[in-house]
Amino acid sequence: MMEKENNSIHNSVFALLPWVIPAVFMLTWIIVSETRLIPTYLLPHPVEIGKAGYTYIFRNPGDAPFAGRFLNDAGASLIRVCSGFAAAVILGIPLGIISGRLASVRKLMSTTINALRAVPGISWLPLAMIWFGIGIKTTVFLIALAAFFPIYLNSAAGARQINPLLLQAGAMMGVNRLRGTFAILLPGAMPHIMTGLRLGLGISWAYLVLGELTGVPNGLGAVIMDARMLGRIDIIVVGIIIIAVMGRAGDQLLKTSLRFCFKSARRMA
Amino acid sequence: MKPKLAPISKACPKIRGPILEINSLRKVFHINGSSLTVLDGIDFSVNKGEMICILGRSGCGKSTLLKMLAGFLSPSSGEILLNGKPVADPGPDRCVVFQEDTLFPWLTVKENIAFGLKGRTRDKKAFDEEVERFLSLVGLSEFTNYLPREISGGMKQRVALARVLILKPEVLLMDEPFASLDAQTREEMQNFLLSLWENLSHTIIFVTHDVTEAVTLADRILVMSKDPGRIREEIRVDLPRPRKREKSDFLFFSRKLYERLRE
Repeated sequence: MMEKENNSIHNSVFALLPWVIPAVFMLTWIIVSETRLIPTYLLPHPVEIGKAGYTYIFRNPGDAPFAGRFLNDAGASLIRVCSGFAAAVILGIPLGIISGRLASVRKLMSTTINALRAVPGISWLPLAMIWFGIGIKTTVFLIALAAFFPIYLNSAAGARQINPLLLQAGAMMGVNRLRGTFAILLPGAMPHIMTGLRLGLGISWAYLVLGELTGVPNGLGAVIMDARMLGRIDIIVVGIIIIAVMGRAGDQLLKTSLRFCFKSARRMA
Repeated sequence: MKPKLAPISKACPKIRGPILEINSLRKVFHINGSSLTVLDGIDFSVNKGEMICILGRSGCGKSTLLKMLAGFLSPSSGEILLNGKPVADPGPDRCVVFQEDTLFPWLTVKENIAFGLKGRTRDKKAFDEEVERFLSLVGLSEFTNYLPREISGGMKQRVALARVLILKPEVLLMDEPFASLDAQTREEMQNFLLSLWENLSHTIIFVTHDVTEAVTLADRILVMSKDPGRIREEIRVDLPRPRKREKSDFLFFSRKLYERLRE
């Protein structure tokens, strides 16, 4: 009885654990703002951020600067992240799986992949702007490029580490190549693939902002850039918080939907 | 039918002539420019319904031999004939139960058993019935929805057996399947395998390094020697079944075999 109660207390503490650091952070923020330890032109008071966030998200466009832009910006950014990430997935998983299984493909790709991987995304920006102009194409290109590597590398690692006996077992049970790929190889590599996808999606948000810093009219990165020009530090912070929330929610959604769709994601990762 | 083969025995009505023939089989591995002959001059045949044990110390090539029978490795020379046709690739007519855990960890007990049968029949009802039948045959009806990591080593090997038996293989190949189980479970599994074999009359080739296991199971024991791996002798185990491991004739037979193995 006692143990059970202890356990339930333990469990509820455990459920709160992820929110401990944000809470401490918020508290510190309030304290330094109230005591004026950090001047408000460097870090606005949380209440100011709240007001700016409310204006940005809920008030009607035209009421105030930045009012009501949220839906439009978030929609534009989401489309860019999703298209770039999708392109990275469509290329990254099949290429990764193939190079994980075939030493010749792995050799063929290794120099190119590792050289390209070493180039920081930001150095692609000028070139991408020349190629694709300012706008969605540049952003999607940068996101796809950046998200490709973790997805490719993790899929390859997943395909490579799979127990060869599982594939032999499949072969002896009369499983052909096609079914072997979908029924043995992909589920066997699933934990790695999942890691790659989550890393890739995280990076997508980073490169979204990079792509949108270039003067596109809308998007969460564009808002941050506009706010910088106008000296609206409160809106910058609002933009950062919104990206953090959407990034976290996106990761959760990705994890949940993979678990929903695939037994292997549900039972192994 | 070739005349050199063993005559059909009346005492053992299951034996109905040869199903598998291995002729002057040889396997050479080439590693870093040097070559290593692992198996040389392997000749034997297996009758339908027979239980054969391949007995040898580790490194004698017995697992390599089994892998060639399964089609995972191709012979350097010689031939393997199943019902007169040469064996080239792995296939469901020669299924393997491995020593290691090779169940699919993302599938439940039931899904693992059903895996090989998928796509073979359109009749959903017959499919389900067949899966249920093999689940209960290996005594795992109550563990249908467990994952491999949630069941014991002995149960895993029962699943491994069921998932291949359901495919009705011509020959069942077993590569030290009980070697990593504890002694009690191993004995249980040997008895279980024997009862399955007596009911379903499969042809079984069972690789082991354990003399007691070989004497418990086999109609015939092929004793292998090392460097290169050859079949040194073929011993017919004429102890009556069911064999009791603690009876004097069993112990006598085992000891004699053990001594010969050490020579």
